[in-house]
Amino acid sequence: MISVVMDQRPQTMARAAQGDAQAFATLIAPLLDPAYRLAAVMLADRTTAEDAVQEASIKAWRKLGQLRGDVGSLRSWFLSIVANECRMVRRQRWWSVTKLAEIVPLHPSGDQFDATSTDLKSALLRLSPDERLPLVLHFYLDLPLEEVARTLGLSPAATKSRIYRTARKLRSDLTLEEVF
Amino acid sequence: MTREDFRRELGDAFDAISGSPDPALSDRVRSALVEAPERRGPVWIGALAAAVIAVILVGVLVLGNPLNRGPQVPGGQPTPSATPTQAPPVSPNPSPTASPLPICSASAITANQSPQTAFIDDVRTGTHAGFDRITIQFQNGQPPTIELRPQTGTTFTRDGIGDKVTLAGKNGILVIIKGADAHTAYSGSTDFKTGYAGLAEARQVGDFEAIVQWALGVNGTPCYHAYILDNPTRLVIDIPTT
Repeated sequence: MISVVMDQRPQTMARAAQGDAQAFATLIAPLLDPAYRLAAVMLADRTTAEDAVQEASIKAWRKLGQLRGDVGSLRSWFLSIVANECRMVRRQRWWSVTKLAEIVPLHPSGDQFDATSTDLKSALLRLSPDERLPLVLHFYLDLPLEEVARTLGLSPAATKSRIYRTARKLRSDLTLEEVF
Repeated sequence: MTREDFRRELGDAFDAISGSPDPALSDRVRSALVEAPERRGPVWIGALAAAVIAVILVGVLVLGNPLNRGPQVPGGQPTPSATPTQAPPVSPNPSPTASPLPICSASAITANQSPQTAFIDDVRTGTHAGFDRITIQFQNGQPPTIELRPQTGTTFTRDGIGDKVTLAGKNGILVIIKGADAHTAYSGSTDFKTGYAGLAEARQVGDFEAIVQWALGVNGTPCYHAYILDNPTRLVIDIPTT
């Protein structure tokens, strides 16, 4: 699992807010890995995902004023911009989002665990990108429910409900305790 | 299954989809940020310029586009009062009025406003004097884009599976509905062998990654009228039989 620990650097944030692009790049550097993983899962295309992260970074840089120096909200704010960029990419370049042939299996075939993973992967890819989004944020990027909710612009209760509902689409026999 | 098992399995599945980012991504983003135009002034000016260009473009399109005088949708029935942004008034079972020649080439229907995913909740076929009809109904609004692609023959490739299926009829029309799904709210038939004079068969050939595809097998030339009606929102495709 990926665990991203945000580096609280108010001084870097202050420099970025004053127009220092290098400072902003330093600020979001720890977020690029989770941002890429989020985009790759939403778009199911690795190259497009990297393009989306780059474009989202530029948009975030231009919208930095919206953050009002709040470093604590940086991660959810940035990931929500990445998610929006992915939605835009899908609308504009619908023909490039289903290149499953480019997805390379992580585990060698024949392994029992791999078979389970492949089944789950197929099930995940059958979900819409917006259905995948809360699952990625909570289970893959390890964001707490409150932060997932901020990224999605929902209440924590609605977020929890959405995650559970989507998880049950993957495994209909899942109980609430098995999910949270 | 424990909570940890579920998380581990999901993590592995996500890993299989995403892999790891290119190690150069960080440098690439940094370069892009440094080379990006300065945040405030140029962006503001750019936005203003974009707005002016958009206004001019809209003006040109509104005044100059002959399609403006017809319906929103290619192949639909124009009404004198129709505007490009509004679907025509709906009757429960609309019938074509005097209409222009059907479209026999590829066309697209785009929505001004769409839900994240338009959920298909009904598909039905019917035959009428002079045309056969397939209606694809959406639960929550019009999907962003619908494409119709006529083709010679009735062999189609199933999206996400890759195998080929051949429908009844002589020619085909592929209907590609982007930003939609047919598995959340729809549990009806995915293959209608109608035996009609025009529309011989309609079969779903894709419901994957928010793109739903229906293949239509037609007995004559692959020509059609297509339009969107609302209350409820639905795509109507008429296949002429005369």
